[in-house]
Amino acid sequence: MAKPSDEQSAEHVSRPELGDLSARLKDLSGRIAAERSEQAESAKPPASLEGASGYAKGYRLASEFVAGTLVGGLIGYGVDWLLGTKPFGLIILLLLGFGAGILNMARAANRVPPAKERIGSNQPPKGGSSR
Amino acid sequence: MAQGIDPIHQFQLHDLAGPWNIAGYEISFTNSALFMGIAVGVVTLTLLAAASRAALVPGRLQSVGELWYEFIHNMVRNVLGAEGKPFFPLVFSLFSFVLVANLLGMFPYFFTVTSHVVVTGTLAVFVVGLVVVVGIVKHGLGWFKLFVPHGVPMVILPFISLIEVISFLSRPVSLGLRLFGNMLAGHIVLKVFAGFVVLLGSMGLGGIVGAIAPLGMAVALTALEFLVAFLQAFVFAILTCVYLNDALHTHH
Repeated sequence: MAKPSDEQSAEHVSRPELGDLSARLKDLSGRIAAERSEQAESAKPPASLEGASGYAKGYRLASEFVAGTLVGGLIGYGVDWLLGTKPFGLIILLLLGFGAGILNMARAANRVPPAKERIGSNQPPKGGSSR
Repeated sequence: MAQGIDPIHQFQLHDLAGPWNIAGYEISFTNSALFMGIAVGVVTLTLLAAASRAALVPGRLQSVGELWYEFIHNMVRNVLGAEGKPFFPLVFSLFSFVLVANLLGMFPYFFTVTSHVVVTGTLAVFVVGLVVVVGIVKHGLGWFKLFVPHGVPMVILPFISLIEVISFLSRPVSLGLRLFGNMLAGHIVLKVFAGFVVLLGSMGLGGIVGAIAPLGMAVALTALEFLVAFLQAFVFAILTCVYLNDALHTHH
């Protein structure tokens, strides 16, 4: 109990307008609200399949992998058809599709953080250390 | 007889009214369209009936309605947070439609709407298209940074971006294929085991005794199919939330 009030007084000594009780109260409630929303943000479950049965989990992972490969292959086939680069588009994009399938699967299993979490941080992905 | 145990026959479309054409496209009223209409009607009427007598102590029907609503409401709030409120009606509609269409398919002689990839694929493409639109409206063109992760060496960045793009594009495919595949496979397997019972049963006393095993299997599979019907509707709804989350909470 003592620690937060100490912190607060130390922080606001330089700002006399907050010496007023109601202003301090408002400031505190604002900070509590900020804290709460932050907690709610971090407590958000990373959209996992924890509750699902093993059957559903397996089917989800399989379909993620198949879909990635399929889409990669289809794009490769389309590129070949459009540009006339007969086998190479299919070969390269099918391989990249495999990569995307593996990435999908790893994300579905929560082994790799989603792309949005890596945006804005110049550090290597957080998931690397947890594995 | 052969017609009766053809496991694919149940998925055939046939015109109930028509054939009608508009500008070369067939728009006949098929059995699939009929059951889509029935699904929408069942959802609407059930929820209207559940909400008609808003008692403080809910009765059976009202309890079902409240559970149904709160289940999706909690899911949207947990995954999307407060910003997800505007998308609750969408997720609720998708979940209800898929769930009721799946469950209607469990009645004998009923048509399973979600066993056609056209239906599930359209729903999935709609969801992912919405994710793109919401992402661009919310974050502008900066949303496309989703595909260009930071901290990746320039040499492999094009490949990583391409993999991310393919991974994003594979979402509607996996979303649609999963629902379609589950419903199709489940109904075919159910029909095949039920067909064994009919075939063995027509072979005299020994066949009737032998038919007990596939009959038990068919009963067990029916229970499993009810679970799958619910589970796939749930998975469809929660993945819709997860994908919308990408569009709403892109930090950069």
